[in-house]
Amino acid sequence: MIAALRQPAPAHTAFAEARFLNMLDRPLVVSGQLSWLGGDRLQRRVEQPRAETAMIADGEVTQQRDGKPARHFSLKRAPQLQVLLDSFVALLSGDAARLQQAFEIQREGEAAGAWTLTLVPRDARVAKTVARIRIDGIGDQSRCMHMQEADGDLAVDLLGPLAEKMPAEPTRAELQALCAGSP
Amino acid sequence: MRRGARATLLAAWLLALAGLGWMVSQRLHVSSDLRSFMPAPTTPDQRLLMEQVGEGPGSRLLLLSISGASDGQLASLSQGLAAALKKDAHYSQVLNGSFDLSSLDPQLLPYRYLLSPTLDTQPLDEAYLADQLQQRLDDLSSPAASLLKNLLPRDPTLETLKLAERWAPAKSPELRDGVWFTPQHEALLLVQTVAAGFDPGAQEQAIEGIRQTFHALPGSADARLELSGPGYFSVLIGAQTRHQADWIGRISTIGFIALLLLAYRSVSSLLLSALPIASAALAGIAALTLVFSEVHGITLAFGFTLLGVAQEYPIRVLSHRRAGEDALQSVRDLWPLLLTAIASACIAYLAFYASGVVGLQQLAVFTIVGLLVAGLSTRYLLPHLLPRRVRDVAAMGWLIRARGWLDRLPRPRWIPLLVALAIAAMLALAPGPFWQNNLAALTPVPTVLLQHDARLREALGAPDVRYLLLLQAPTEQGVLALSQSLQPQADALVARHAVDAIELPSRYLPTVAQQRARQQKLPDRATLEQALAGALQGLPFRADLFQPFVEDVETARALPPLTPERYAQTPLGQRLAAMLVQRDGHWLGLATVSGVHDVAALQTLGAARGGAVHLLDLKAASESLVAAYRTRILQALLAAGLLLVVTISVALRSARRAWHVLAPMTLATFLVLAVERVAGIEISLFHLVALILAGGLGLHYALFFERDTGDPAEQRRTLHATLVCVLSALLVFGMLAWATIPVLRAIGLTVSLGVAFHFCLSILMAPHARSLSGLGGRGEKAAVGGQIAAALPIHGGSMDQEAAGIWTPQTDSQPGRPRPDRLLKTDWAHLIPHAGTMCLLDAVLAWDERSIHAISAGHARRDNPLRGEHGLHAVHLAEYGAQAMAVHGGLLARARGSEVARPGRLVSLRDVALSEEYVDHLDGHLDVHAECLYADDGGAQYAFRVEHRGRLLCSGRAAVIHPQP
Repeated sequence: MIAALRQPAPAHTAFAEARFLNMLDRPLVVSGQLSWLGGDRLQRRVEQPRAETAMIADGEVTQQRDGKPARHFSLKRAPQLQVLLDSFVALLSGDAARLQQAFEIQREGEAAGAWTLTLVPRDARVAKTVARIRIDGIGDQSRCMHMQEADGDLAVDLLGPLAEKMPAEPTRAELQALCAGSP
Repeated sequence: MRRGARATLLAAWLLALAGLGWMVSQRLHVSSDLRSFMPAPTTPDQRLLMEQVGEGPGSRLLLLSISGASDGQLASLSQGLAAALKKDAHYSQVLNGSFDLSSLDPQLLPYRYLLSPTLDTQPLDEAYLADQLQQRLDDLSSPAASLLKNLLPRDPTLETLKLAERWAPAKSPELRDGVWFTPQHEALLLVQTVAAGFDPGAQEQAIEGIRQTFHALPGSADARLELSGPGYFSVLIGAQTRHQADWIGRISTIGFIALLLLAYRSVSSLLLSALPIASAALAGIAALTLVFSEVHGITLAFGFTLLGVAQEYPIRVLSHRRAGEDALQSVRDLWPLLLTAIASACIAYLAFYASGVVGLQQLAVFTIVGLLVAGLSTRYLLPHLLPRRVRDVAAMGWLIRARGWLDRLPRPRWIPLLVALAIAAMLALAPGPFWQNNLAALTPVPTVLLQHDARLREALGAPDVRYLLLLQAPTEQGVLALSQSLQPQADALVARHAVDAIELPSRYLPTVAQQRARQQKLPDRATLEQALAGALQGLPFRADLFQPFVEDVETARALPPLTPERYAQTPLGQRLAAMLVQRDGHWLGLATVSGVHDVAALQTLGAARGGAVHLLDLKAASESLVAAYRTRILQALLAAGLLLVVTISVALRSARRAWHVLAPMTLATFLVLAVERVAGIEISLFHLVALILAGGLGLHYALFFERDTGDPAEQRRTLHATLVCVLSALLVFGMLAWATIPVLRAIGLTVSLGVAFHFCLSILMAPHARSLSGLGGRGEKAAVGGQIAAALPIHGGSMDQEAAGIWTPQTDSQPGRPRPDRLLKTDWAHLIPHAGTMCLLDAVLAWDERSIHAISAGHARRDNPLRGEHGLHAVHLAEYGAQAMAVHGGLLARARGSEVARPGRLVSLRDVALSEEYVDHLDGHLDVHAECLYADDGGAQYAFRVEHRGRLLCSGRAAVIHPQP
């Protein structure tokens, strides 16, 4: 099934992300484009509400905002990104072994119809921050990615065509429904 | 000495050595700190160099790289090593690129508002907070969210991160897996030791500690840890130099032993002759431990080198021993000359003691005590232990031929002039600078390591070890204020690429005044809460989220400003402490610079500050220190030279003889200098010390060659002893000359050249060379004549009569110590049986226990009873010798008060050598010398020689027995 998800690099997909954070009264919503540039290189370009580009390459993250000097930090210090990289790249490159190596995988549904993969990080250090990831898809399309953090914060990414359907002020239930709903 | 007594003496001597050894092992404290060997610094730069730089930040820095594993493994090794070393009190700073916020002391966190420059330009008002909070919101939706989430409630303006950035090295290496990496996939660490960089001993400990820690880490087996930095280099070079010196030392020791065995064919002589040297070394160190609390390693190294002279003493004793002669007797003969050599060397070294430099004083004490002990033990202890029977080296065929060849060499008077001119010309034409002031050039770091170091330094932006920016002010706060005011200019220099980075002390701590000013700008609780509420309008942050921030600002308003003392508990405080130094009632800030491209621009930094800021060039300062040191050594050498001239002149009681000793020595010393200079070698302190050693050896050669002895056998022994000394010195130092480490090569080459030149010049300029060369042309004939004389019944009737003659010496009550008074014929003629014209000798000029010097003018007389039809044949001069022996025997017996007259019979005549056929044409008188080689109750052996105006006519040996009545 994972092999079927494979796409040739570079692969671009629109995304819209909603973050539900404990320290905030309402979710943060951003949208833009995710690009897999081959290898372990991943670009996350935010277009709304403010332009920002984050580039993951060679274990380092470079964050660039308009009119500001670039900020660099190690991938090790951003476990969410590490998880994103491991899952996203593995799926796009159809690399089941890599996915297996980084996560414990649970699958529901079938390859041809709607399916859900639940990924639990094997690395205890990563698991301290990111509790689990859930990816919903239909056929050879990933539609949603939920990243449940250990402190209760949650990030939901709508991928591909679904990204356009992100509400201005989403709730968890709305997004749940969007991800589960038919195309 | 009886067997038992010998054994007792040997045991006592060895016991004394063991005692000294024990004392030395208890008391000796060797210092490896180079500064204690250096003279007192005179300029402020030199003082700073001596006092601070060894402990300065740059010299204590070690650069570490880990390679040979995957990036991930290397990163975890780097983290493991850094974590372990941070706990170790030997290291004041450990950096590997990972900045962990949790490592900041929570107590100090509120200080961020006093330390960060934000408040200088930006009040914490509503507009600023609103902008900051909006940015944080963006951060939360970015990948960096997890980095900030925990920090946000306490520090929404991210002052902590601003400080972390400010304190990070100016130019950070690439970060991989959270730690520094070079482009060559090596994990990088910076470690600052507590130990001073000038202290190789302590540095070695620190480096060993790092290695052990590293190897104890899991997964370190495959990875490779490499170190670099000044401390590591000093340790490495020290070990390499020691290793090479040991290795060469072992080979040359074997050669030395083989040479001595070949020369003396006696294992016991060899072992025993090592005792004076061992005693000298131990006594020298023992004396040092008594006089000085700490002995410098270089003193010992230089001292052992200079003590090489003492090996000459036992060699001289072994070579100069005649067949059957008591060792004690041969030492007594040599002693005046040896004493002259030892005393003059010791007196010369007194000049080093007077130099006032502790290192040189230690050297003087060590060498003087060592030489005296070696000399005195050679004189008073060694002879009692030496084997009773030895070979007389004078009888060796090759030596006779060698001496003959040397004697035939032309020795023109213009040699000294020629050599002096050659020296002057060579010195004038020599390329490059005369002096080498950079001692480090003598112990160079291998290029590979330097490249490695440069690569790591470049990657890390680690400070330059050569330049240091000095900030001077009356108070600590003054230094910080000065540093603060310099910051804009420093930034401008960095922007112009004159220098890669300048790390000023105020980077880590602003002045108290500035902290107070920032404190003034912090809003009170009510104002801040109001501004915050305004800023939060329209933002999704929870209302009470930033309560910790409000608390911290409130705390910061009441904090006492941070001072270096209060700061010292933290790692950053230690970093700062290394940059602030109190001296003579004022304070110095040491700012490090990295990647200096334009020294002149850097120097302008202090131009407008009236000397409060200045760039210290450590290389220039240390070179000026070495130059000052050399001046002191040269002054000491000059004084030593003058002392030597006076001592030698007094000892030899003749300016002419002193010239013959000192001129070749001086010329040879300068010749070494000239030859090395022409070869492009720059002269360093080590060359000077080596020249002193060579000069000491040369003094011996010249003294012994100068000794005016008409005895060819004795001259051969002198040659033998000198050859053994020269060869052993060449063996030991010639090997060193092949070393790859320049400092060893400098010493080896200089001493080797010196020994060769001293040997050649002292032979060519020896005073008796002319008289010997006169003999040289007829050497062959003389030898043949001698053999004929020995084969023929040359004694003739008179000899037979002489042989059968009975002396009836009369007794005399006078004690018979040496008497130089001239004894007229009437005084002794009755002591021998010869009478009338057959009593050939005219007067005794001098005699002592062992020898007699008589004169005779009767050889030209026509009524000489030994005269034949062609004149007086030289063969008959043997009779003159025999009569001198008879007179000596008589005088000795009279002096002993012997009542009984003892008959003597001449039983053999050997090795008679003649240099003339007929002697009656010679004017003036003949000198007749006889020297007792051996005497006991049964008889005596003599060597005799007859000379005319210093020219040898006849020599030989004769034996006489006293038949028992």
